Amino acid sequence: MFDEALLGQLVARALRYGGEFADVFCERRRTVAYRLQDGRIHDASYGVTLGVGIRVVAGESAGYACSDDLEPQALMEAADAASLIARSLPGDAVRGVDLSPQRAPSFYNSAAEEAADAGRYVSLLETADRAARAYDPRVVAVNAHVSDEIQEVWIATSDGRLVRDRRPLVTLGVQVVATDQKERGSGYVGDGGRTSIAFFDRETPESLAHEAARIATVNVSAVPAPAGEMEMIVGAGGGGVLLHEAVGHGLESDFNRRGTSLYSGRVGERVASELVTIYDDGNLQEERGTVNVDDEGVPGQHKVLVQNGVLLGYMQDRLNARLMGVESTGSGRRQSFRFVPQPRMCNTYMPGGESSVEEIVATTQRGIYAKSFAGGQVEIAKGDFVFMVGEGYLVENGKITTPVRNATIIGNGPDAMMKVVAVGNDARLARRHYTCGKGGQYVPVGVGMPTVKIASITVGGTQHG
Amino acid sequence: MDESLAMKLAEQALELARSAGAQSAEASVSIARRFHAEAREDVVARLEGSTGRSLLLRVFRDGRKSALSTTDLSAEGLREAVNRAVANADLVAPDEYAGLPTTTATDGAELRLTDPFLARRDGGEKVDEALELERLIRAADARVTNSSGSHYTDAVAVTAIANSTGFAAAYGWTRVGRSTGPVALDGEVKRTAQYGTAARHLADLEAPALVASTAVRRAVDLFGARKPPTMRVPVIFDRDVAAALLDDLFAAVSAANVAVANSWLSGQIGNRIGSDLVTVVDDGRVPGGLGSAPFDGEGVPTRRTPVFEGGVLQTFLYDTYYARKLGAATTGNSTGGGIGPSNFYLEPGSQTLSELIAATPVGVLVMDTIGFATEHASGTYSRGARGFFIEGGELAYPIDEFTIAGRYTEMLAGVDAVANDLRFDGPVVSPSFRVAEMTVSGN
Repeated sequence: MFDEALLGQLVARALRYGGEFADVFCERRRTVAYRLQDGRIHDASYGVTLGVGIRVVAGESAGYACSDDLEPQALMEAADAASLIARSLPGDAVRGVDLSPQRAPSFYNSAAEEAADAGRYVSLLETADRAARAYDPRVVAVNAHVSDEIQEVWIATSDGRLVRDRRPLVTLGVQVVATDQKERGSGYVGDGGRTSIAFFDRETPESLAHEAARIATVNVSAVPAPAGEMEMIVGAGGGGVLLHEAVGHGLESDFNRRGTSLYSGRVGERVASELVTIYDDGNLQEERGTVNVDDEGVPGQHKVLVQNGVLLGYMQDRLNARLMGVESTGSGRRQSFRFVPQPRMCNTYMPGGESSVEEIVATTQRGIYAKSFAGGQVEIAKGDFVFMVGEGYLVENGKITTPVRNATIIGNGPDAMMKVVAVGNDARLARRHYTCGKGGQYVPVGVGMPTVKIASITVGGTQHG
Repeated sequence: MDESLAMKLAEQALELARSAGAQSAEASVSIARRFHAEAREDVVARLEGSTGRSLLLRVFRDGRKSALSTTDLSAEGLREAVNRAVANADLVAPDEYAGLPTTTATDGAELRLTDPFLARRDGGEKVDEALELERLIRAADARVTNSSGSHYTDAVAVTAIANSTGFAAAYGWTRVGRSTGPVALDGEVKRTAQYGTAARHLADLEAPALVASTAVRRAVDLFGARKPPTMRVPVIFDRDVAAALLDDLFAAVSAANVAVANSWLSGQIGNRIGSDLVTVVDDGRVPGGLGSAPFDGEGVPTRRTPVFEGGVLQTFLYDTYYARKLGAATTGNSTGGGIGPSNFYLEPGSQTLSELIAATPVGVLVMDTIGFATEHASGTYSRGARGFFIEGGELAYPIDEFTIAGRYTEMLAGVDAVANDLRFDGPVVSPSFRVAEMTVSGN
């Protein structure tokens, strides 16, 4: 698709005024998606993203230009535009770049190479719809979507790397609304990963639909969430959103190189209870956040971010790693060719501990059990984070009791992590449907977690007292 | 920007759709030249400049609809993608409501969508603006020690829409913005704030000095913030936070959500929902408005639609499809595939925010929230927040790490004061307002 000689010329052209390095990111992504509404296939969509992004890095500065026109003339103009960042800096122009192809092992499901029969998408959606409606008479609406994409990237760098990656990503999502005439509740469940739609032969559309319908009906009978400080049990799997928000973002190297994260300069320090260990891994088989190579051509890696409560390191892209005098950790990711890479998470998770779930529940007097999260957000500088409970329950005198609706939990990253008092032995990865936004760029990620207990946190419901 | 090039691409796509077997089709092409400079201290951290093109195509065959979005506008690439999109329609269920609107082009000259100066503005001047913001935030207060970046962005663009009923029209638009994110050191705690301004015309932006001083004040005024007690009190939403609340309200009045039972306002037209201060308008024809356009994503002329009047829900907001499906008329809110706001805002009141605070014996002023709503079906609101505790009509002390929560129905019914500080710096905007009572959750 992209001519190797041309890529080499573009890299050299981008460095015509100098600069420490340059890269050319070529992308072709094709996405097919179907949506079901009112029991019928409502619409189909097909998306093509094709273009080239060219970057020049000079010190702390980056020049960037992209083009959706692949004519050599247009690409040279983009290289010229990116090169301007280095115009006023001292440095020597680069004359030519020899590229040598690199290979990385694959963590994607190879079956995704085969084109699926379009009828299978329709049948997944219709099966999910029937299963959700059959689950409970209170189900009044089912919306389901399936998408299947292949993103092919070609990355050429001024240090001679030429890397190609072909990333599949499939997602099936089911949203269910239930009502008892008085109250409404909704539930959403999604799954998939870097695999083919044959994935849903194992994780069936029925099981996703039943789970979404179950959450919707639980939420119909949910009472308003309590307000104030209390104990919290974070559910296994999807509870990993907590790690993503409370710790993960704060360990991305751009914030730390600039000193704007509360974790800046704290490598080697205690930042969490000694029960807490956190990994970020780009190499988990078929996970949503997995990348064989990142969007700067660096192989994905397993990173130990926090071990037994001690901060070990940050997630690095090339620009920030260079300025901090370390190596990239394969964390440079971008939404598409229109965006500069940023240091990002891949799959962030906590390994299992020693407590049993029964023991964790039994020792909780008054608290909230956040079985799953609907999303979260963090403010990097001070470390305050929130997350929204998708399915939650009160815990009273060692027992899980009444479901509560729509609680927002607020805490401070290190504070909440210091208050981790029990880590369950039931670690698992969440269903694969999370997408992370940062600086206007969205990338697929994974999370995982065992059941964890936090001694106290603020629950933002409406029931005071 | 060249309107004729965008129109030519749109008409090519229509022709390809026809030959691939589509009975009707609509193509929308945008070409935008975007510029972005980010400064940190005296360094230009990022300099981006590119022209991007994109095509949205909707095709219809036997009442089945299918869409294509692509950045590949090469002759071969476009043909292949259009064929694929038309073939995809075969899997879609026939839908009697699917189809194109009957519409004619409207003029947008009075909307002031374009600032011609932006197309020829010198790149060095733009970069200097970002660098100047960095200097200004540091000069404004010695406690500002760092920043998450100062930005200047602009876009000069054209959008063309053509459909198979013969509609063909294009318009140009521009957008410009400046913003900054100072970080100030409060002992061990880093306090940050983001503040910016955006408009279609450079002259309509807030001056760099005002942007910098507002951002810095928002960071340093929070020094020493503490967690408030859990309580039920009046809550004042500062205008930017109020705008985020209006975003949620828009989702609830979007016919796309109403049609699938995913709105707490389903079945409520004609009912009193808010207090008599709640008058909410969607207006696509505000001169210079960032949500203004001569016509929507389907070529339907934009208009002014009162959504709430004196607290009573008047209408939902529709595109052609959901209007037909729900037995209404389109309100010109199509995004060409979904439903989106024009300029969606709460009508301002007459008092200043300061007067509103002075008239609040005890309460909370919310300056910033984090988190987002996910359950539009039940209409429950809950956010992390920071701001000030109000005592005796004055800002007594800063507070953070708390949440505010309530039901949208109770919040709208509880709006008991609206300020006069509305500004059109985004498609969804609001003046500051006060809600009589909400749950604040802290210690």
